[in-house]
Amino acid sequence: MEEVRSLAKSWLESRKVDAILGLREKNGHIAPHLFTETNELESLTILSHIGEINSKYFSSNRSQRYKKNVLFLLEQNYPNAKIGIVARGCDERALIELAKRDQLNLEKIEILGVACTKEEAMNCRCPKPYPTKLDVGKRVEKNSSDMNVEALLKKSLPERFSFWKYELSKCIKCYGCRNVCPLCFCEDCEMEQDLWVKVGQLPSEIPTFHFIRWYHIADRCIECGECEKACPVDIPLLTIFKLLRTDIKELFDYEAGLDVKQEAPLLTTLDETPLKE
Amino acid sequence: MTKSEFKPKIIGFLCNWCSYAGADLAGVSRIQYPSNLRIIRVMCSGRVKPEMVVKALYYGADGVLVLGCHIGDCHYQTGNHRAKKRIAVLKRLLSYLGIDPRRVRLDWVSASEGSRFAQIVTEFTEEMMKLGPLSLKEAFS
Repeated sequence: MEEVRSLAKSWLESRKVDAILGLREKNGHIAPHLFTETNELESLTILSHIGEINSKYFSSNRSQRYKKNVLFLLEQNYPNAKIGIVARGCDERALIELAKRDQLNLEKIEILGVACTKEEAMNCRCPKPYPTKLDVGKRVEKNSSDMNVEALLKKSLPERFSFWKYELSKCIKCYGCRNVCPLCFCEDCEMEQDLWVKVGQLPSEIPTFHFIRWYHIADRCIECGECEKACPVDIPLLTIFKLLRTDIKELFDYEAGLDVKQEAPLLTTLDETPLKE
Repeated sequence: MTKSEFKPKIIGFLCNWCSYAGADLAGVSRIQYPSNLRIIRVMCSGRVKPEMVVKALYYGADGVLVLGCHIGDCHYQTGNHRAKKRIAVLKRLLSYLGIDPRRVRLDWVSASEGSRFAQIVTEFTEEMMKLGPLSLKEAFS
């Protein structure tokens, strides 16, 4: 933690960045903050208790219809400013994926990469618990297998059906999974279209309602697991997304959030990104 | 419902430029094929959103056929490329949900392939007969 603070301090002092976006601990609460003064940096923190708030704190403001992320808004208001951002592995993947989809400009930001501890990586079932641009901390290797994924794959089709029937029947259509997702930035969400679902009515349309997000996120999910953490009724969403990411890797040899230059496979032609079956 | 009297409901999304014309040719040539297929004409197989397929299944279809132009023949150059990618991902997703991915089939039928169209519909209908009713809405509620 001290390393992060001192690095942030040197970045601010050397004017490498004009401000640093990070989390601040104040009066026992943690919230995003834009640090501009070095004396503020004492309160800079990285989450040690994951799940308390969305670690993708730079993502859009869901209370507004205008779903642009904080970095985009900063760039609009301060076009010449360079913003440093404290980012874990998943944060970095989200930033890359957002940049790929024109939601922010990577040239205007400087990533201060922080590796997660082994315990945190286990907790999140993380596929890559360190940013590629690593400044602080040591790489811990990812967990090679996932219990929930293996359990689902062992099930026969009818067993899977009854598994999801139970899990999805708990859904209260709170849209928490969508709101918390760093890659769900559409201003008009398909999950709120009367064409597909009865908006505001329970029980939810199983599986149409859930399927919409699963498919839409298929080639952009960065496997941060925020949706599963946000779900108030504990639907194992990360299981589906882990499987989907494996599929996208198998079918298109593509992984979201690793390289800005790689185009999303579902948006390209077969000549550009071939389909392997 | 016993299996013998089960008549599968099949929704077919047919592209305007090739497959719909292919179906038309099958009709004009009086080729016999099962009447289980309900055709929805779309401008391109790339128009078919996976949501449309799932909605069809949810509201009572036992199977969904998506037919488009052969790769390289798309009226919009690459619309069917997208369809192919989408359906591939969709099928995987359906299998995780416990729905047999064979219930969705993507194939190519050109405007001159009336008999191929009839053959695909026949095959697909027979396959749906074997798989039995889906009734997704009732099963999930």
